[in-house]
Amino acid sequence: MAAKEKLICVGCPMGCLVTLTISSNKEVAGITDNKCKQGEKYVLEEYQNPVRTLTATVLTRGSLQPLLSVKTARPIPKTKSLPGAIALAGLKVRPPVKAGDVVISNLAGTGVDVVATGNLLS
Amino acid sequence: MKLQDVDVAVIGGGPAGIAAAIKARETGAQNVVILERAEKMGGLLYQCIHNGFGLFYFNEDLTGPEYAHRFVEKAMDTGVKGLPETMVTGISPERQITAVSKGEGYLSFRPASIVLAMGCREKSRGALGIPGTRPAGIFTAGTAQRFVNVEGFIPGKRIVILGSGDIGMIMARRLTLEGAEVAAVVEMLPYIGGLIRNEVQCLHDFDIPLLLEHTITRIHGEQRIEAVTVARVDDSKRPIAGTERRIECDTLLLSAGLIPENELSLMAGVELDAATGGPTVDETRQTSISGIFAGGNVVHVHDLVDNVSWESELAGESAARSAMGGKGAQGKIKLKAGRNIRYIVPQTISGQNKVTLYMRVNDMEEGVRLKIGNIMSKGLRVVKPSEMLKVELAPEQLEKLKEGTSEIIVDCERRERK
Ligand code: SF4
Repeated sequence: MAAKEKLICVGCPMGCLVTLTISSNKEVAGITDNKCKQGEKYVLEEYQNPVRTLTATVLTRGSLQPLLSVKTARPIPKTKSLPGAIALAGLKVRPPVKAGDVVISNLAGTGVDVVATGNLLS
Repeated sequence: MKLQDVDVAVIGGGPAGIAAAIKARETGAQNVVILERAEKMGGLLYQCIHNGFGLFYFNEDLTGPEYAHRFVEKAMDTGVKGLPETMVTGISPERQITAVSKGEGYLSFRPASIVLAMGCREKSRGALGIPGTRPAGIFTAGTAQRFVNVEGFIPGKRIVILGSGDIGMIMARRLTLEGAEVAAVVEMLPYIGGLIRNEVQCLHDFDIPLLLEHTITRIHGEQRIEAVTVARVDDSKRPIAGTERRIECDTLLLSAGLIPENELSLMAGVELDAATGGPTVDETRQTSISGIFAGGNVVHVHDLVDNVSWESELAGESAARSAMGGKGAQGKIKLKAGRNIRYIVPQTISGQNKVTLYMRVNDMEEGVRLKIGNIMSKGLRVVKPSEMLKVELAPEQLEKLKEGTSEIIVDCERRERK
């Protein structure tokens, strides 16, 4: 039996509520209610592999600056955002760190590095 | 550089001020100085650690600190002088600036031109007028953002957010990821105040309840906030009796809009537009006072920093030209807000040069046609108050203007559906 799944397209301010028809073998059999082509591509990706860039801060040690801002070098699966944030909560970095430096590799088993988005001076 | 020799003085070192200063240097102004009240340049971008900046300006997805960093570096490379920890206390209509500076003491000087780039600030509880007690634990979303992302404090454990502006939704996600519980985001309108992308990625991703057409009717708690009462609102935004319910919380964040910060503009005698809350400007971003220009959120609140940078570059370029003795825009054609248009920036154009118009609508509407007098017409699927409209007018289109035109009416008309 075909199931229906609804996703909001974020491609433009319209924010169409797009319907996906999912076949019994979990394949996307149809996409309707999107007002343009761009929406089709977006919901397909968002259904099959929803990813997000996780941004956060990590605590510092040996610096007057209490936090360092960081991000995942690439988007990670959406379900890994919270486990990723929890992993980062336990981290402490020491100066010097430059923007772009890796602060932790393979965040929460995603295979993706977390890099600094700012500098950390001592 | 002696302050006596300053060609262009920029008030505010956020994204608007930095972009204006860089462009002023690039246009040929010798001595360009930024006066910034905080310890460092970059403004609020340093606390906006999320991504989504620069998608248009750099064609890259950057975080706030990364976007700021690129501009700060460029400012240093182009020889812009930055004066941090410097608070401008006054500007006269003759462009005399007075300031107090941690490094330089009391300052008073008269630059050839000024760029106003003070940005905007958040509406506070006072501006919203919510009844109830006055306990601790009520913050604007931006203040909470600074606590969480810069200073390292979490404001509370169970949070209610009033207003669904972008900063509010982004803070809902951020606090959830830091271990707090966001009990609800409360929005008076039938749709969110920020971008769709933020509704999906900040609220839906984390199952944060969004209460549309609701407002807070009371704040409870003596020392610290303990709860809020929320109620559904009717079409005229009045709370409906009998729909009240109590939501326990220890923190309330306000994300209910931004106001351009124009105390200094008023001191200088610059004319403000009641619809934008910022100075009325011509297409070069000159204000009503010759030699004083303005760009970015001080003029009108943008939703993308990319547009702030572009608009302020224009202000910086014009300020440099004016400082070097150039003439400003000739002729003034008024742009008048017609049906479902809240404001248009710039408020006047010369009708001779290519120009970008920034506009906002009053109400959400689907299937509309945007008409700029008789010179341009464009169909749009949807317009929302939260999404700024941007339209470029090319010289060929402006040629359609009749000789002696003094006013152009901009309308957002309903389009008949097939
Ligand atoms: S489907 Fe097209 S029209 Fe609808 S939200 Fe996506 S991009 Fe916009």
